Amino acid sequence: MRTIFRRAPFQRALGLAWVIPALALVGVFVYLPLVQNFGFSTLKWDIYSGSQEYVGLENYRKLIGDPVFWSSFGNNLLYAVVSIAFQVFGALLLAALVESIRSERWRRGLRAVYFIPSAISLTVAGLLFYFVYEPNLGLLNHALDAVGLGRFGQSWLGQGDTAMLAIIAMSQWQGFGYSTLLFAVAIQRIPSEIYGAAAIDGTGPIRRFVHVTVPLVREMTGLMMMVTISGAFQVFNEVMVMTGGGPDNSTQVLGTWLYRSGFVRNNFGYAAAIATVLFVITLGVAMAQLWVTRRRRVEW
Amino acid sequence: MRPRALTTFAALAGASVLTLAGCSGGPANAPAADVTAEAEFSGTLSILTKFAGDPLSPYFEDLAAEYERLHPGVKIELIQETDQSVKDKTKTLTASDALPDIYFTWTGNWAENFVRGGRAADLSKVIGPDTPWGRTFSKASLSAFAYDGRYYGIPLYNNGKFMGYNKAAFAKAGVKVPATFEELLSSCPTLRKAGYEPVAFGNKDGWPALHYLQQLFAYTVPEATLQADFRPGTAKLDHPGYVTALKQFKTLVDTCTDTGDGTNGVLYTSAQEAFSRGKAAMYYQEVLEFDNATAGRGLSPDDFGIFPLPVPEGAGGNPKAIEGAPEGYLVNARSPRAALAVDFMKFVTGSKNAEKLSSPPYGQPSTVIGAVTPKTSSKAVFEGIEMVNRAPQLASWLDMVTVPEVADAWLAGGEAVISGDTAPEKVLESVRQASASAK
Repeated sequence: MRTIFRRAPFQRALGLAWVIPALALVGVFVYLPLVQNFGFSTLKWDIYSGSQEYVGLENYRKLIGDPVFWSSFGNNLLYAVVSIAFQVFGALLLAALVESIRSERWRRGLRAVYFIPSAISLTVAGLLFYFVYEPNLGLLNHALDAVGLGRFGQSWLGQGDTAMLAIIAMSQWQGFGYSTLLFAVAIQRIPSEIYGAAAIDGTGPIRRFVHVTVPLVREMTGLMMMVTISGAFQVFNEVMVMTGGGPDNSTQVLGTWLYRSGFVRNNFGYAAAIATVLFVITLGVAMAQLWVTRRRRVEW
Repeated sequence: MRPRALTTFAALAGASVLTLAGCSGGPANAPAADVTAEAEFSGTLSILTKFAGDPLSPYFEDLAAEYERLHPGVKIELIQETDQSVKDKTKTLTASDALPDIYFTWTGNWAENFVRGGRAADLSKVIGPDTPWGRTFSKASLSAFAYDGRYYGIPLYNNGKFMGYNKAAFAKAGVKVPATFEELLSSCPTLRKAGYEPVAFGNKDGWPALHYLQQLFAYTVPEATLQADFRPGTAKLDHPGYVTALKQFKTLVDTCTDTGDGTNGVLYTSAQEAFSRGKAAMYYQEVLEFDNATAGRGLSPDDFGIFPLPVPEGAGGNPKAIEGAPEGYLVNARSPRAALAVDFMKFVTGSKNAEKLSSPPYGQPSTVIGAVTPKTSSKAVFEGIEMVNRAPQLASWLDMVTVPEVADAWLAGGEAVISGDTAPEKVLESVRQASASAK
């Protein structure tokens, strides 16, 4: 017993020594920048002279009165709501439909078809859809023309009332297949006996979906909702490529307004304040995700 | 929070603040560059250009190779960016205190920031108007980079904005070069009937609208008022000419472009291409774009003509003002190779290389006296630069002449005017607010 007592502190110290390098790396590259960013958000920083003036919470006060910050926040929320509708509930429905197909070959084929857009990078997809939406040469206006709906053709990304929806639509196209695939995997994990029992009880496909599939994939549903919301607040690439936040800041999201505040308006302290708010939102969503996945675990 | 965690957090925050203080050294950490010293021909000289992509990128690549051949101990590290990306790149390098030895600059507030921040070397002793090197440049181009009587920039090429037009399209439609803004507007339906988009215009990036606006402001607002309004400290932005110009711009977009209020969804390069393919009759463009416009098969150099944006009737500003400014390079004030940087830029602006820059396919009219001639440059480039040189007032780019916050408000305002979402009066009010906030 004495030997064990003597060796325990040594082993604890040894264990700590092993994790110190990893802790140091995470600390320097993850946590220190976060703290630093908060430090920057309390400064008025002139990148040209290098001078940094402490302004306390002034940047946060300015943020509250900034209409573009709030419209950006609103765009992120809209993004989240539409993404939940399509990439969570829509994808679940589609996955259930695909998985209900008897032919394995068709199931595999359809999964691949839906997944392909997700293999394209967002930047490339954004560029691709920029040309789809282009008012003169774009595929969408030409397609509308071809089916006699030319009067609905317009400059999709050039108008404040359609630009954000056009970007969100592209994003759904890009992310829909990935969510569908994840739901398909979750549905495949449901034991077939449960469906068999439901069939013996005389339940139709809709009731089977509502009373068997939906409850048994709730863990995945919860996870997908959190991932989707978190992703909606980290949107950047597609907006930058397709509109750059315009016209008249109508498609700004928090990420692009942060970028514009820093790199275009030279207000890096204010940009850091937006980054802090963005971090708090995504951290909150991540915490909620952890809580939800811990509480809604399905076991059989 | 538990006491132990609080202590850890406080220590972390303290360390972070110390790190911040350490990182915020700015340009004062290195000794000042001596641009008059004898150049030492060794080491690596870094240069950030705005010449990425075709047809411009080979220009500096060839010069770097030639300079390295002449001076075997020197290696030139080229960082070539585009017009759009050079802005972010420069700011990132500035913030991280890693500017190269030589870097691209616009005139106006853009260059002034580097001068004010102590990041641009004072080149007065080597490029001042009375120095041998300075005498090779036009005085106006040197003055464009002068602040408080000191000369900081090496002007590389001159630039101006003109309406390029397709002579064949005008002839087919029976339209003459418009003498007034109103004539320009009235020519558009005729050109459309003849099968052309009257004016190709793409404003996805926002700044093309600012080019129209700045030229119209120069016509409608007196120069002294404009200059005062560019600086937030003196800005009033209450001259009625601003609203008039915004309304004129909106009328032009609605009357003369096919995309009208959807123009914000069109890339400026798409508009440029529509003109160079012969689909559009006019395209408002920089002298730097002239040779590119006629490089394809759609528009021959003989069919390409230019005229300044016509002046609206009764305009209260300067009717002879032309929008334009030279573009050039600054030498890093803390560069240990400042003398070598100056030598390299003397090589770049030597008469042979200046003529090469002014000739097709580059078509960038050099600021070096005698480099732009009918022999070295295309007819349009020569004609455009002659008009720029004769202009009594040069109106610098709106997104560069004023502080970024105000420029950004103008940019959003230009987009709002095009899409018709905001009245010109409200756009001006938002610019006024941005200016007040930037004080």
